[in-house]
Amino acid sequence: STSSVVSTNKDKSPASKDSTTEGASKRHEDGAETPKQKLLDIIGDMKVEVSYRKKLQQLKTSENKNQAVNKLAGTDSEASVPQGTTEDIQRGKPLNPELVKAASAVASSLPLNKKQTESELLAQLRRHEETTDKQKKGGTINIRNVISEMAVKRQSPAQRGARISGRISLELDEDGQRIRPERWSSQSFDSRSLKVGKRLNIFTKASTEPEHALKTVSSPTIWDLEFAKEIAAITAQPPRNGFEEMIQWTKEGILWEFPIDNEVGMEDDAEFHEHIFLEKHLEGFPREGPIRHFMELVICGLSKNPYLSVKQKVEHIEWFQKYFEEKKELLQEI
Amino acid sequence: MAAAALWWALKAARQVLPSPCPRQVRSYHVDWRMLRDVKRRNVAYEHADERLRINAIRKNSILPKELQEVADKEISALPRDSCPVRIRNRCVLTSRPRGVKRRWRLSRIVFRHFADHAQMSGVQRAMW
Repeated sequence: STSSVVSTNKDKSPASKDSTTEGASKRHEDGAETPKQKLLDIIGDMKVEVSYRKKLQQLKTSENKNQAVNKLAGTDSEASVPQGTTEDIQRGKPLNPELVKAASAVASSLPLNKKQTESELLAQLRRHEETTDKQKKGGTINIRNVISEMAVKRQSPAQRGARISGRISLELDEDGQRIRPERWSSQSFDSRSLKVGKRLNIFTKASTEPEHALKTVSSPTIWDLEFAKEIAAITAQPPRNGFEEMIQWTKEGILWEFPIDNEVGMEDDAEFHEHIFLEKHLEGFPREGPIRHFMELVICGLSKNPYLSVKQKVEHIEWFQKYFEEKKELLQEI
Repeated sequence: MAAAALWWALKAARQVLPSPCPRQVRSYHVDWRMLRDVKRRNVAYEHADERLRINAIRKNSILPKELQEVADKEISALPRDSCPVRIRNRCVLTSRPRGVKRRWRLSRIVFRHFADHAQMSGVQRAMW
């Protein structure tokens, strides 16, 4: 099949490239090897170019020659574009013969439509070469073209004045709108005006809100509450699957919320120094004596306790204060 | 009219789905002993802080002994059920006072029953 493809190509394109394709076809016909082995041979034969500069120079010289040739050939081939995929080999810039051979071998190794794959591969190669050539040649030229095409946008003097003056004036009334360039602002934003649309009331206190709130609070009657309860009871359908059951449990409080928050229900807003430095609560006690000694021990123990809140600790200390004040007469006797 | 129709619909729906509750619901304590235990727990919770503070005064080598004796008298004046020693960890379902595992608050018989029916999460018959 590969040989048939190549032979048809050979028939239809009597150009300079025929020599190479003939060689390829001969090789294909001669060898009783599998297409894969041929592909491997071809890839192995392809030499790795160490010096890239030489190759560039070669390519450039070959390009210059081929461009002159292709201009003549291009005008001819454009007319014959819809003729067939097999003519792709001849059209446009001629490809590297080794690449052509490799492409044909690859196409033969693939199980799909070989003619089509080969033509597609060759087209891709051609596109690749074109892009590389373009990049090598015309960097600056293309940029110049692009810049020349770009047009300079001109501001109208009135708009410019509006913008500058808008920036300068900072007088704002309570709504955040500017007083002075008001008429200009309406002109400058032609498509969107500032006064259109619902007000968000971010900067003004909306006077109507508290009225609405009062209304809603005073109105619900017992019947309304009962109705709401009934609706809630009806809409609470039994869970259809495990996920809904878990959701229900989480709402009830049976299941914890994940990721687990260790500090759920524990809103200790006090800083660490309020927990540890409790001496300021000891002002009501005598400065010396066993009671002070005792209370200092109490404070030491409380400061080390992470489970109590500051309020609870202060309550402990206050209880002791009260207790000792009640027992004052007793203490005086001692 | 619309409200009345909605009301009837709700009533009908309610009869179809009588509060779905797959868990066991007990609205009573299993026996009187369990009730007494519950009362003791509540009282102990109320007086826990006081007992702690008075005991802190009593078990002290710094304060004078007279003060400690007074504290002794005070703590004995508290209700008898306020001491935590009188609380017994009974089984929650059967009120069995002995053979209760603390983690599950269940007696060994109930625990075995539920574990065999695969109703205890993470509990498996041991085999090694």
